[in-house]
Amino acid sequence: MHIDRLERYWIIAVTAMLGVFMAALFVSVVVFRVQLPSPVGRVDPRALAETEFATPGLTDLGASRYDMHIVAKMWNFDLGQAKGEPAEVRLPRGAQVTFFVTSEDVTHGFFIEGHDANLMLLPGQIASTTVRFNRPGTYHIICHEYCGPAHANMVAAIIVE
Amino acid sequence: MQAAQPLPQRRVAPLSFPRLAMLASERTLIGAHIITALVALSIGILMGPFQTFRRSPAFMEALPDWKIPVFTYYYQALTIHGVINALFFTTFFIVGFSYFVTQRSLERPMFSRGLAWGAFGMMFVGLSLVLYAIASNQANVLYTFYPSLVAHPTFYIGLVLLIVGTWIVTANIFLTYAQWRADHPGERVPLAVFATLANYVMWCVATIGVAIEVLFMLLPLSLGWITHTDPQMARALFWFFGHPLVYFWLIPAYISWYTMLPRQTGSQLFSEPLARVAFLMLMIFSIPVGAHHLFSDPGVSAAMKGVHTILTFVVAVPSFLTAFNIGAVLERAGRSRGARGPFGWLVRQDWGNPVVAAQLAGMILFIAGGFSGLIHASLTLNIALHNTAWVPGHFHMTLAGAITLTYIAIAYWILPLIRGRALFSRPIALAQIYTWLVGMLIFGHGMGAAGILGVPRRADLAGSGYISPEAATWLNSAAIAGVILLISSVLLFINIIGTLFFSRAPVSEDGPIATGSSDGSPLWFERWGLWLGVMLFLALVAWGPLFAETLDLVNGFNVPGFRPESPVPLR
Repeated sequence: MHIDRLERYWIIAVTAMLGVFMAALFVSVVVFRVQLPSPVGRVDPRALAETEFATPGLTDLGASRYDMHIVAKMWNFDLGQAKGEPAEVRLPRGAQVTFFVTSEDVTHGFFIEGHDANLMLLPGQIASTTVRFNRPGTYHIICHEYCGPAHANMVAAIIVE
Repeated sequence: MQAAQPLPQRRVAPLSFPRLAMLASERTLIGAHIITALVALSIGILMGPFQTFRRSPAFMEALPDWKIPVFTYYYQALTIHGVINALFFTTFFIVGFSYFVTQRSLERPMFSRGLAWGAFGMMFVGLSLVLYAIASNQANVLYTFYPSLVAHPTFYIGLVLLIVGTWIVTANIFLTYAQWRADHPGERVPLAVFATLANYVMWCVATIGVAIEVLFMLLPLSLGWITHTDPQMARALFWFFGHPLVYFWLIPAYISWYTMLPRQTGSQLFSEPLARVAFLMLMIFSIPVGAHHLFSDPGVSAAMKGVHTILTFVVAVPSFLTAFNIGAVLERAGRSRGARGPFGWLVRQDWGNPVVAAQLAGMILFIAGGFSGLIHASLTLNIALHNTAWVPGHFHMTLAGAITLTYIAIAYWILPLIRGRALFSRPIALAQIYTWLVGMLIFGHGMGAAGILGVPRRADLAGSGYISPEAATWLNSAAIAGVILLISSVLLFINIIGTLFFSRAPVSEDGPIATGSSDGSPLWFERWGLWLGVMLFLALVAWGPLFAETLDLVNGFNVPGFRPESPVPLR
């Protein structure tokens, strides 16, 4: 099968370019420690009251480290706020928070503005990611997967002081 | 021992097709598919611009109570837009186009007209059932229909009929090919049919995933035969199918670029063997890449996500091969039109011929759309972009840009053949193509920029409290693009209706079909059984471990179904 000389050069150049892209990915994973969500565990969405998600909210682990459990449901995020209070959580600057999030009903999304936090929330699965909040400000937690009529109003806020 | 003498065979005389018309048998079958596709498109397409208005802060400030006409519930309109455009318009169009290409390239009728009409009937009933389910507000689940959202059973039955219909189409095309092969031993099948065969092989492997999801999880759940499901397993099965789906749309556009554009521009294909390599690679590597839609999923390991990322870069190779091959076609065309210098041919193209211009406009969008796809297929960048407006920005430049514009180019010559009259208006066609190009570029850029700022996709943003002023600018620009695209869609339908009912001039453009092939590609390229084995092996390697880690019969399958309107589980 004949391959034209110029076309052969093109194939080599393109393959090399894709190789560079892949190397960049490798570096970002190995050197910069960018991590993707990996399985943490399963949970029975019908019996969240018997699990670590019974009382959602912030747990102070000391040394600016926190765990945060959140339950997503149609159509709000339960961060442990009292009834009628806005879904907000206040954090000191520099806080490093490990989120554990699950859904009680349908598929939801979890996206924190301005930070590398992007999870699908599936009932039955615990999703987890760790985020450090260095800049003061208000960052929305946005549900980014369709979950019903009030999907676009499903939002919470993280206030970094 | 003496070799057995081959029995004297009656060679079927090649069917001769009229150049500027269709045989009656062609007209009815292909016409039914193409016109059903275009009617479906007219329903689906209108919903798009209306969504950009609901998502534009400036528009909703000016008209606070504005709702999408007829389908007032935003997500109902979005479901129609996705399901009808992406699943039904595309499939009907592709099947009609495949019949035309197969019959004319092989110079013979389809193996069975009965099978062809049977498949059409199934797909048409499927379309009707799905339209009923969505229009009656019982299937507001979007085109990805992720459980534990549950739609009315007619929605899933409609999808099953569509898919089973395409399996029958596949059988019919392969049986036609087998007949041709018996008459033409040792010959290479024409490139357009080669690509069509590759497309349906890929499609049959891919649809196994969604068939399992719908038949064993969603439909029984919707009917109440089972009470629980596993959303992570469903998403894995869906995306086993969901990525090859985009190549199922793309390959017919590539057939037009590789085998028809050279004729239409007075050029010739640069390298036919490498075109075949590109189609084989698209077929093989479209399957083991689907987990790049699952980068943010909690139940899939980072290792499997990495494997699928690497293979995703491999599936970009055939598109780069295409860029070279089609670039060379266009360079030759430009130079024969008098282009000078190294880059003059980029400008000296046949921009005034709708059939060529629509494909060129599609290619411009495909460059932007293709690179945006490589960007969010990179797992690290995907964290910033997954499920943001970036994603629809990307696939409106690829699917709604390159692919749909190429289908429109095909419609602009195939509709006149079906009707036996010339295209209604070339100036309207050109206005439609260029408004589409400009509109889609503005839309793609606006959605991309909004996505980088964190605006989610699939959200009825009117009234949501999280849009920053900076993001509002880009959402408003997407709404301006919506106006331009609405105008473009109206122009498209003026031309379709005009061609079908009001055109008087005789047909002037023929179906650009090549019947022979004389390239130097090895004959083993047509060992479809071999390729099927390779595909299944790669699917096992790339998807086997993923399904194994997702499947949990003890602690999984514990999620009840929900209607989108209510947080109370169904059963």
